Amino acid sequence: MPSDESLPTLKILLIGPSGAGKSALLLRYCDDLFDSESSTATIGVDFRLKKLSVRGTPYRLNLLDTAGQERFRTLSHSYYRGAHGILLMFDMTNRESFLSMGRWYDEAETNALPGVVTYLVGGKLDCHDFRVVSTEEGEALAQQHGSRYCEVSSKTRENIRRPFVELVHEIVNNPSLMQMVKRPGEGGRSLDVKREDPYIFNGCNC
Amino acid sequence: MDSLSGTFWDVVIAGTGLQQSLLALSLSRSGKKVLHADKNRYYGGFEAAFTLQEAEEWLNKGDEDSPLRPFRKASSVPQASLDGSNKAPKLSARAYSLALSPQLLYARSSLLQALISSKVYRQLEFLAVGSWWIYVPRDRSETGEALTSSHGELKKVPNGREDIFSDDLIDLRSKRSLMKFLKFVADYENMSEVWSDYASIPFSEFLRSRFGISMSLQAPLLALTLSPVSPSETPTSFALPRIARHLRSMGVFGPGFGAVLPKWGGGAEIAQVACRACAVGGGVYVLDEGISDVSNAPADQGEMPGQVGSSAHHPVAVTLSSGETVNTLWLVGSPDDIPKKSGTTRSGNEPESPTREEVTSKSISIVSSPLTGLFPQTAEAGPVPAGAVVVFPPETLLTEEKVAENQPPVYIMVHSSDSGECPSGQCILYSSVFISGDEGQATLDLAVNRLLSSLGEDPKSCLLWSMRYSQQGPSLHSGVVSSCEERSPGQIFFPRSSNGLAFDDELLNNVKCAYEKIVGSDNEDSSFMAFSDREVPTSYMSDEE
Repeated sequence: MPSDESLPTLKILLIGPSGAGKSALLLRYCDDLFDSESSTATIGVDFRLKKLSVRGTPYRLNLLDTAGQERFRTLSHSYYRGAHGILLMFDMTNRESFLSMGRWYDEAETNALPGVVTYLVGGKLDCHDFRVVSTEEGEALAQQHGSRYCEVSSKTRENIRRPFVELVHEIVNNPSLMQMVKRPGEGGRSLDVKREDPYIFNGCNC
Repeated sequence: MDSLSGTFWDVVIAGTGLQQSLLALSLSRSGKKVLHADKNRYYGGFEAAFTLQEAEEWLNKGDEDSPLRPFRKASSVPQASLDGSNKAPKLSARAYSLALSPQLLYARSSLLQALISSKVYRQLEFLAVGSWWIYVPRDRSETGEALTSSHGELKKVPNGREDIFSDDLIDLRSKRSLMKFLKFVADYENMSEVWSDYASIPFSEFLRSRFGISMSLQAPLLALTLSPVSPSETPTSFALPRIARHLRSMGVFGPGFGAVLPKWGGGAEIAQVACRACAVGGGVYVLDEGISDVSNAPADQGEMPGQVGSSAHHPVAVTLSSGETVNTLWLVGSPDDIPKKSGTTRSGNEPESPTREEVTSKSISIVSSPLTGLFPQTAEAGPVPAGAVVVFPPETLLTEEKVAENQPPVYIMVHSSDSGECPSGQCILYSSVFISGDEGQATLDLAVNRLLSSLGEDPKSCLLWSMRYSQQGPSLHSGVVSSCEERSPGQIFFPRSSNGLAFDDELLNNVKCAYEKIVGSDNEDSSFMAFSDREVPTSYMSDEE
């Protein structure tokens, strides 16, 4: 069994409008926590790690949240670098939230690598009475962009693992995406700037 | 749209250039409430990196009042289509990340230390800058280890003392002189008796009279200074620290190189990663939102509950371009991002800066081939470089009818596709010269042309696309010390970023200066940019399918 550090790492982003429930989904999936009181964006969490095995092969998921930069649509190019998969999430009880997804798809397609796997998630499945977006609408939008779709509730845990499992499934079945999956230490031509080499300048080494 | 005015901000930062973004990073763990706004729709200010499409938009917008402006409107030149030999390939606009101010980073730079101690280096990738090349016109070059061509050739700057020893073209006496100089420069700070009399005298004069290094051997040393001006205007006091910086950085991150470039567009990528770090710490980000007015906040905003008396001054009211007004204790930015307080008028477009400013002509060119020959491994077991520097000494670009006294050199930074700035099979040329206007651009065109012919590739590489612009920035070679400046209470101004080809550590000092004003001087010095790793919540409960 390889140590966790040496597992192949998949970078997965969450994007979507404020209040869609992105952080709640991450918190429930990673830590099985749900805080009904917390409605503000999480502060101080850069990313989360989670181990997920698909067909007996373990992967390390590096899950990135928007850090509030979705609020005014100011996610940077660099946020999208090297992402293998993108979860696009909206709030099923909020029509505007759903209607904004076209623009989020545009942004994902503009910034991410060609071939990145996208996945549409409708959140707040438990709020039946306030639901304003139908399953058919969600599925149609997802299909239009070549994504799969599912509806989740972070509150009741319903379907909470499904988007992650299905997304990772699709990524690992895509050879060209898997080509860019790095194991730690495989930086390509990138340098390890933290580790100072023992080639320190001594005297004159022009 | 959410409201920003409901919060009393500790700091409003205007502009997301490198200085402002590094300030945001430095404040990311301070608990200060930070609003970070940029009038542009993109991050990075003068250090931005563009896709082809963004570059075209920027060129067409053509802000004539900006210190960074396109050279004439619509100055992008798609050139492959003009070259009849092959059909113009369709360029994939998204596959490019073109840096407006590409700068190399020396391994010993304090910025690298700050990126490491603040932990954001984990989100960045760094690649080696390998060889320095000097263009030598054909009639003056001799045969030897060089890349040949019809016009001239590129000669590699010796990368170590072994290179110098084994160079057949250098006679023994000259080798000794060079070695003597290298030994001196390694410890030049403690040997002021050798050079203090020469400090303001041209460096080449110092090399000649103090070390007996002839003109023909000076070019490699001058190339390492990255001096924007002619040798006769480059004083010894400018050259020595820069050569020492180069030598001291050699080998720090691996054998055979001393400088690095951040992948995906250099400073632009650092700025974005720094901004995200501030957002993770609770900072709020708004783009496409400039600052239209600044005034004193109404008196009743003066005493905010919970504001500890780290600053005695009155809060500042900042009106955003959307019309919303926010109150803040501090407003930080460059003169290009912050209008003067209302009631005072600004004279023309001149920022009231005490530093001398000057204009550099720049161009960015996409080349149809990878120019692999420019990126040899510079040491056994060393990395494959992604960057190279090509220097055209002043005299090499003079046309016959023109004899200029103080012609400056042209620098071309070449980035391979490993930099993430272009697709594989191509490379990017970032050219610059300290000459303004038509003459500057013509000089750059000539240099780019000669560079491509000198490599003698068959078929000759061609330009697929290029853009021309100019940048006004603080004088680099007159040794101006700039810092952050509090022009009126609560308003901190950064100087514009310099046009230098290597990152200037002075910029980080400006950031620190602003940081200390904001957090108060009683704060421990060491806390600037020194952060522990954020606790990464891991769930290693294996999620088995």
